[in-house]
Amino acid sequence: MQIVVNGEAQEISRECTVFQLLQDQAVTLIAAVVELNGTILKQEHWPSTLLQAGDRLEILVFMGGG
Amino acid sequence: MNDIIENANTSDDSLLIGGVHLLSRLFLGTGKFSSHEIVPLVLEASGTQVVTMALRRIDWKNPQENILNYLPKNTILLPNTSGARTADEAVRIARLAQAAGCGNWVKIEVVQDQRYLLPDNWETLRATEQLVKEGFVVLPYMSPDLSAAKRLQDAGAAAIMPLGAPIGSNRGLQTKELIRILIEEISVPIIVDAGIGRPSEAAEAMEMGAAAVLVNTAIATAGDPVLMAQAFRLAVAAGRLGYLAGPGERRVTAEASSPLTGFLQEV
Repeated sequence: MQIVVNGEAQEISRECTVFQLLQDQAVTLIAAVVELNGTILKQEHWPSTLLQAGDRLEILVFMGGG
Repeated sequence: MNDIIENANTSDDSLLIGGVHLLSRLFLGTGKFSSHEIVPLVLEASGTQVVTMALRRIDWKNPQENILNYLPKNTILLPNTSGARTADEAVRIARLAQAAGCGNWVKIEVVQDQRYLLPDNWETLRATEQLVKEGFVVLPYMSPDLSAAKRLQDAGAAAIMPLGAPIGSNRGLQTKELIRILIEEISVPIIVDAGIGRPSEAAEAMEMGAAAVLVNTAIATAGDPVLMAQAFRLAVAAGRLGYLAGPGERRVTAEASSPLTGFLQEV
């Protein structure tokens, strides 16, 4: 099924949680912040949140900035 | 040298923002450094306590390590809302930063103009009003304008951050007179943000009575960023001491420093 991650369409397997998606991308170690369909998804809910077709996910991290 | 820094950093002269007594009046941005590894060295040399950073979409192909991992534990994090073009976008970014565990300080930055990156004071005010209501300690980056600054103050901004010159331009205090007026008329701390390119310009801002300065490009793009961080630390402390000491009156004509009596040619 297809979801949109950071503005780009992405194909994922069914029964995938937010946590698994991040794990697949090897970014669980980075303190990321996730927004699912416009709502902030707290880290404690990543493992229990199943992604649905058409979900829009924003995954953000802190970078250097002034 | 250290005595000078210590004198300017006594607790008697701390800067109170958001309930925190800051001993350093130099805020630092973390953008544009050649590597993350140099950031903690720069922070240490600068003596800074407040550090800005930005929130961005993760780059899947090239996942960089989080900048937060390079900041000392006791650093006060001041995430900016750079990338926001409207108040709503700034509010969204502030909430995300808070959710990421960054605390409740936020630097509002709302910009539509891509050439000079000048902030939109109107949208900045709207974002400030909303985020203050939500309990954030709000530090708005703004174009130095007295009416806008008063409205930001009334909205509950913890400090006002007027620009000295466009972001990253290293052109110094181009807006000096407007900043001077803000310092005179606004009661919350005025922190000069953006444009400061040389330690002498930071000292000048502090001498005028600015509460603090925020520096990024001037240090990040210096030949030796660690040495430049130290230079800014001294300049900010010196400027602050100069302000506290109360500079003497300016005059058009000379006034002799040496006694005008007892010259050799007198009979």
